Amino acid sequence: MSVPRIRAPRLRPRWGRSVALWAASAVLLVYVLAPVAWLLSSSFQSEREIVSRPPHWIAQKPTLANFAAIFSAGERSVTYETRRAADPASGGYIPSTASSLVPALGNSLIVACAVVMLNLLVGVPAAYAIAKIRFRGRQASLYAILATRVIPDIALVVPFFLLIRNLGLLDSLWSLIITYLAVTVPFSVFILVSYFESLPDELDKAARVDGCSRAQTLTRVYLPLALPSIVAVMLFAFLASWNEFLLALMFTQTPKSQTLPIIVASFTSDFTISFSFINAAGVIAIIPPVILAIAFERYIVSGLTTGAVKG
Amino acid sequence: MARIRLNGVSKRYGDVVAVRALNLDIRDREFVVLLGPSGCGKSTTLNMIAGLEELSAGELWFDDALVNGIPPHHRDVAMVFQSYALYPHKSVYENIAFGLRMRGMAAAELDRRVQEAANKLELAGLLGRRPSQLSGGQRQRVALGRAMVRQPAVFLMDEPLSNLDAALRISTRAQIKHLHEEMRTTFIYVTHDQAEALTLADRIVVMKEGMIEQVGTPDEVYERPRSMFVASFLGNPPINYLEGAIEGEAGAPVFRHGSLRIGLPAGKLRRVGGAPVMLGIRPEDVLHDGVPGNSVLTGIVDSVLPVGSDRFLGLKVEGCDVFVRVDKASHHVQGERVSFALVAERLHLFDKASGASLLDARA
Amino acid sequence: MASAVQTTGLSHDERRAYLFLAPLAVVLMGVAVFPILYSFYISLYSLKLTRPQRAPFVWFDNYVAVLSDGQFWSAVERTVIFSVIAVAAIVILALLVALLLNEQFPGRRVLTALLLIPWAIPYVANALMWKWIYDSNYGALNGILYQLGFISSYMVWLGDADKTLALIANAFVWKEVPLAAILLLVGLKTIPADLYAAARVDGANAVKRFLHVTLPALGPSFALVLIYETMMAIRHFDLFFILTEGGPGDASSVVAWRIYVETFRNLSFGIGAAMSYILALATLALSYAVIRALAQRVAA
Repeated sequence: MSVPRIRAPRLRPRWGRSVALWAASAVLLVYVLAPVAWLLSSSFQSEREIVSRPPHWIAQKPTLANFAAIFSAGERSVTYETRRAADPASGGYIPSTASSLVPALGNSLIVACAVVMLNLLVGVPAAYAIAKIRFRGRQASLYAILATRVIPDIALVVPFFLLIRNLGLLDSLWSLIITYLAVTVPFSVFILVSYFESLPDELDKAARVDGCSRAQTLTRVYLPLALPSIVAVMLFAFLASWNEFLLALMFTQTPKSQTLPIIVASFTSDFTISFSFINAAGVIAIIPPVILAIAFERYIVSGLTTGAVKG
Repeated sequence: MARIRLNGVSKRYGDVVAVRALNLDIRDREFVVLLGPSGCGKSTTLNMIAGLEELSAGELWFDDALVNGIPPHHRDVAMVFQSYALYPHKSVYENIAFGLRMRGMAAAELDRRVQEAANKLELAGLLGRRPSQLSGGQRQRVALGRAMVRQPAVFLMDEPLSNLDAALRISTRAQIKHLHEEMRTTFIYVTHDQAEALTLADRIVVMKEGMIEQVGTPDEVYERPRSMFVASFLGNPPINYLEGAIEGEAGAPVFRHGSLRIGLPAGKLRRVGGAPVMLGIRPEDVLHDGVPGNSVLTGIVDSVLPVGSDRFLGLKVEGCDVFVRVDKASHHVQGERVSFALVAERLHLFDKASGASLLDARA
Repeated sequence: MASAVQTTGLSHDERRAYLFLAPLAVVLMGVAVFPILYSFYISLYSLKLTRPQRAPFVWFDNYVAVLSDGQFWSAVERTVIFSVIAVAAIVILALLVALLLNEQFPGRRVLTALLLIPWAIPYVANALMWKWIYDSNYGALNGILYQLGFISSYMVWLGDADKTLALIANAFVWKEVPLAAILLLVGLKTIPADLYAAARVDGANAVKRFLHVTLPALGPSFALVLIYETMMAIRHFDLFFILTEGGPGDASSVVAWRIYVETFRNLSFGIGAAMSYILALATLALSYAVIRALAQRVAA
């Protein structure tokens, strides 16, 4: 029996793969960054420059006036007369709600931080119980928790609006904090449960035999080990709160409680629109979440994987 | 330092019964081994004693106290786990000290105990390391140390040697035995390894499917197994079985299998009737150079199996496989016809249907 | 003496578990479950805030009114078109991105980090950004196409009824692709390398390996992305509010927008609630159907 002759395979040149990868990466980068870059560029252009056709891709006379206007908006008094007198094209124009931008930043920050803290306080014990304690209704609990998210937010708004209005809590940050908590905690619990389940059960047993109550087992043994998922939860909860729009639209009415997305959205619905100002506001709105996301990038990815930690 | 009693203890998970009405009396300072295949309920029983699982029914007593509802951190038990369960984020020192810290021990006494245990277990130089920086054997010793320092009333061990390699297993076994002698505490040890059980135990509890098959000293369960299950489980290589019938009862009972006839000890048999029986012969119970008498095993050599320290022959006896141990220096070839004398008193007899021993218990 | 002491009621462990779950239960009960039930309750009444005193119980009249309203079905049609375009684009792009990120090359981490930017920014900012890009007078889209010679003069984009849904979908897709890509990436990473090695030995080229190893193994992740993004697309509101307010005319008036209009502009709370419920049920049914279909494929 003769052995079949094997033709020597022609190796594809190594650099073919690299080129393909670099090309794909470049395309992806452009896709992701181009719109944002344009936003940034626009924010540095004065009103006069921004309305050029075709557009100036890079600001020829970059200016920080837009940002200055945002942060000083509080001092200027915008009356009906002054507003009408200002021509958007000549710059110096501010939307009527501009002065609320900085307070709105503060509101968003307060709400987001409160939601993060409450997410941890409420979610961590619940996740530990579901992951590590055998009790009646354990499986059902997780499904039930996740099921609350199937209903669209709009369906929640109507009854909640009525309830809050009757309680006189309309236009307060608390209405936002509590609703955001309900909206973010299921996902937080999901992430935490996945991570807890990947931690060995026997640690739990060892701790309890060593003298820990259930609560102590959680705080002294599991929490330190679950840090990556906790960071992921904090991140998701913060971003979800910061970015939320619909519920804030419903529950807030004055700058006292309005959050950043509401104010920024209000700029577009003002009578005359100042493009440069809006772009600058947009930039301010995206800076905190983008910084957080990039800084904690690996927690986001690992938070979505069931982390396997071998200590 | 505790006497442990289980009265009618059961554990149910939904429809599955893991442990069924267990009754067991463990004496103070005894070393008891729960032995059985996986799924027999031995670990569940251990967990119940620790308080990690709640009893579905029955009573659990530590000395004169009923501990059913008491959570593990209020019981005076320490436990060593199969996977060691060391706290990954703590140093070796902190791992060992953790239990003492949780119980609020004074710093000086705590340190003294930890150092003492570390020295005894040859961990003194490793106290600052993390578990991930230790070898398997070292981790196992830390797990031991963590339990030791607690000086508990009951010492629980759940297959602690399973993850070690063979050589380490033997040396650690000895260490555990010493530990028991030193600490003079009740030890309850779970394993599926019969050799471990035979070496370590004061008494062995053989379990199967959630129930106790037999309780006895290593000698008792090995020499006088009460069922086929126990006889099979203990002993390596395992016991040989030949199916057959009993003829000529009472006076001079004889086991018959095909053309094979083996004399049995008189006066020790229970009534059999005509039911089929299983004869049990341990490989080491054949005589190499004894005078063939009433009990003779005859067969054809099928395989010769040298195992370093021993030599075994696989025989075909009336078509059945029987393994016997022979002298290391003996020569046998395949196809050879051989006969071995058997000591009638060392034979085992079981009812085939129920598996129960047919020999009088008081032997 | 053996006596059976039955542990009655809740075991110690169970009590602890319920204690730990209590705060979560309270929050969800009060803020999610109760509104869901209350919303259903409202949908059974003809409740208009324009005349709140008179709110008769009308059984399922609201539902009938909604389901027999031509406007509603047009909105459904638009929602479907939007969702199909968006989800298809998301899935394809996310798969490509995930395949890219699964390869090893320098700068991959940086790329992944930058990829998160669209996901991180608020929908409001996303909307503003694209509104500016789509602007008829000064927008970047017009600018680029004009400079590259594809068009001879600036066009209307968002104001063009034929293009509106596609443009909004584009903004939606841009923001959703990162998360979908990461979910698929996670799925890719769990495929054991042995499978690829075996396929290679069997003589499969890159395309065959993709079709026969990668795709089947991605099944569950695919299902997850598909369901999640569909759910998100069907109920999305923010972009429709900021970019077009349902316009021009009715061109981008999807179900989510109609619910908002009915509830907060027409103040017909009963109708709005009924519509929300129909939307919720549709979402549930869809998710269930997709799960079943994909589960069968995976089992096959």
